[in-house]
Amino acid sequence: MVTLSNEPSAPRAIKRRNLGWLVGRRPALAVGVLLFAVLPLMANPYQVYVGNLALIYVILAVGLNILLGLAGQLSFANGALFGVGAYATGLLRLDAGLPFWLALPVGTAITVAIGLAVALPALRLRGLYLALATVAFAQFALWTFVHWDSVTHGTAGFVMAPVDFTALGLRTTTGIYYLSLVLAVLLVAAAYGIMRSRVGRALVALRESEVAAESIAVDITRTKIVAYTLTAVYAGVAGGLFAGLLNVVVPESFNLFQIVLQFCMVVVGGLGSIAGSAIAAVLLIVLQEGLRGMQDLQEIGLGLLLLGMLLFAPGGLVQALRRWLPGWTEPHSRGGDE
Amino acid sequence: MLLAYALSSGITSGALYALVAVGLVLCYRTTGHINFSHGELFMIGGFLAFTLHVMWGLPYIVALLGAVAGSFVLGVLTDRVVYQPLIKAPPIAMVMATVGLSFVLKGIGRHFWGGQGEVVPFPPLVSPAPVLIGGVAVFPQQLVVVASVVVCMLLLTLFFTRTRAGKMMQATAENAHAAYLVGIRVERVYMLTWGVGAALAGVAAVFVAPLTLLTPDIGLSLLLKAFAATILGGLGSMTGAVIGGLLVGILEALAGTYIASSIQDVSAFIIILAVLVFRPTGLLGARARREV
Amino acid sequence: MADLSIERLSLSFGGLAALSDVDIAVPAGEIRGIIGPNGAGKTTLLNVISGLVRPTEGEIRLDGQPLTRLKASEVAARGVGRTFQTSLLFKGMTVLENVMAGMHQGLRTSVLAAAVGLPGVLREERRARERAREALAFVGMLSFAERDGASLSFGQQRLVEIARSLVAEPKVLLLDEPAVGLSPPRVAELDELLRRIRDKRGITIIMVEHVIRLVMGVCDRITVLNSGRKIADGTPDVILADPFVKEAYLGKSSDADRA
Repeated sequence: MVTLSNEPSAPRAIKRRNLGWLVGRRPALAVGVLLFAVLPLMANPYQVYVGNLALIYVILAVGLNILLGLAGQLSFANGALFGVGAYATGLLRLDAGLPFWLALPVGTAITVAIGLAVALPALRLRGLYLALATVAFAQFALWTFVHWDSVTHGTAGFVMAPVDFTALGLRTTTGIYYLSLVLAVLLVAAAYGIMRSRVGRALVALRESEVAAESIAVDITRTKIVAYTLTAVYAGVAGGLFAGLLNVVVPESFNLFQIVLQFCMVVVGGLGSIAGSAIAAVLLIVLQEGLRGMQDLQEIGLGLLLLGMLLFAPGGLVQALRRWLPGWTEPHSRGGDE
Repeated sequence: MLLAYALSSGITSGALYALVAVGLVLCYRTTGHINFSHGELFMIGGFLAFTLHVMWGLPYIVALLGAVAGSFVLGVLTDRVVYQPLIKAPPIAMVMATVGLSFVLKGIGRHFWGGQGEVVPFPPLVSPAPVLIGGVAVFPQQLVVVASVVVCMLLLTLFFTRTRAGKMMQATAENAHAAYLVGIRVERVYMLTWGVGAALAGVAAVFVAPLTLLTPDIGLSLLLKAFAATILGGLGSMTGAVIGGLLVGILEALAGTYIASSIQDVSAFIIILAVLVFRPTGLLGARARREV
Repeated sequence: MADLSIERLSLSFGGLAALSDVDIAVPAGEIRGIIGPNGAGKTTLLNVISGLVRPTEGEIRLDGQPLTRLKASEVAARGVGRTFQTSLLFKGMTVLENVMAGMHQGLRTSVLAAAVGLPGVLREERRARERAREALAFVGMLSFAERDGASLSFGQQRLVEIARSLVAEPKVLLLDEPAVGLSPPRVAELDELLRRIRDKRGITIIMVEHVIRLVMGVCDRITVLNSGRKIADGTPDVILADPFVKEAYLGKSSDADRA
């Protein structure tokens, strides 16, 4: 009935489907998980540590991408929430005597509660002003870590006993590593599940147009709260694992450099692409370790990377993957190459 | 006595916040964007003045002009490198790009002017000994700062009301499309706006340098104080930004004196949160109408 | 089938009256056209009905139930669907996903269920996909289901938008200039589609439109707005004959019948 001006080219579509199982997103991610799974068997302790840090940042970056890339909402507070997660889990173990397996979920719940306490009043603001309010929160959180001595142990932070994994027959480092791997896989899968559901579509609708979103009965405020909550969950889990990895929690781990580091992960991977964030998180952690101790170069390098990606490759890594790997599909990510 | 001291130092830093806030609001009104590297422009401006005045021994006025010129150029660069190329991109991309720029500038500041935690002393312009005015000890540098800020504001007002460029900036802020239709080269106006906004941050940096310590990390806290000022003054109002800046300066000086000096670092956050919870339109602001 | 009534509706922005004292009663199953010169307040009227703008005075009722105090998302949930003048398809989603997004209200999946991937979620997704395909077939866009929404022409995007509204099973559909940019044969197709929406789905339609041929052809009644006031209301024949209408709208506007 409607005259078709440009039919999709059928042969190309078929080709994509046939090669999909070979070079698609799922097999690529599966290979990645496999590599991470065997890493502790062949790497030295430092490499295992870097791998573990990368897994933690995969969780952080994927969580932030739900907010930034899927829902299109800005927040500079994710590094601060990461810190809240680390402090909450660490302090629950150290000062409240909770075991790690209990401290981690409770710490995550505390992170979500604090995240919402900030997001709720800030949601009254629109756009840029909301963004600035979250910057202020990030600075405030850092200040609290340093100055609320009686709870946070102040500038010097605190040291905990290593998490005990003997019940599973694992050393601490191996235990934390595989726990991080399992949680990262589960949380990435969860992000994909959410993305492809009604909730994910509502988040994208919010990103694209609040007016159009409302016209399909999406409650704007509720959807924003969902987005902020989800991101806080990921930040809380990542923070708890981070405390478990280092056994030391100090304020400067969560300084404002986290802002550019995490934005870079999301943008380099591709706004709205879960797989992209995961890949970029691993790459950037390796890069950051390479620049260890050179704060000025880290700032200049990551700042330029963020700027350059936005200017010259706004689709991120995942856009290149989609172009060069015919089986790679990525739901809801923006900057399509049609 | 304590109160008078707190007030005088509060007014001094408030005047500077006002200057930075006006630059922020100026760019926001005209371009619709907040430059997240605004605080770093301030930082670089301060270090430029330090290089010219302290390291090379050039007269203070040369340092002032150099810092203003340098930050103006950085503002124009922001326009060329970030604003113009991303003008059609989603706003979120623009914000993140200025964040990227802010870290580049911060890294440059750290690379050339010192590592984390190091600070740079800047000798006072006038005699460091306090003078008594009506029984209150005031540092002459404070008087110089307040007077200079007042002069800057007057110059800015003249610029907007008397000069062609200033009028074009006003017109573009009111309605960019209409300005374009009457033949104003809107792109040029944007460039000038970023430059002038940045230059104001540079001026502020040169005045504040002798009073405080410059660090590569100063930018963000300054941006937040300027932001607290604009939010207090109502979003997007220049007069509001000036009044808001003074209020922020006085409030944090009072809190620093009577509660705890470390509170000063987070005064911006507390003010922002308080305004959001109790009066989301700002103390002086009108409710922004929602666009459909 | 549902009826929509607008009673003494007024809206002013800072002393400027965008709508004053507008009364419109649209009985169930009617296709109502809203016409008027630019700036007459037609789109504003749709924005007020859909809850995006709160009126200064007056009441809007759907089947007797007031809508006026509700948020836009709640108005949509009560069964008022709409499309926009400039197409607002969601970028980054395929055409099919866009239409599935329209089912937001009808689906139950919670965040937690989606994250865990419960079997019920997958079942619901499958059902939603089926219904979305059905709606796309209804507007004749099924062969575009897997395309990126942004790659379609304006006319095609508007059809997808209509499908996106239809899957929510609205009682009333508000269309803002659906025929803009369509060639005459496409306008004829749209005419036929609007009739099918009313006849097969039982949806009341309120349409703002400049293309007079479409309005006169498909509408049961037409309301004429000018400077925020209702100046005429009647069947197409009556409206065409009304001298006041001719003077205020048809006579002056040379592009009124550009299709």
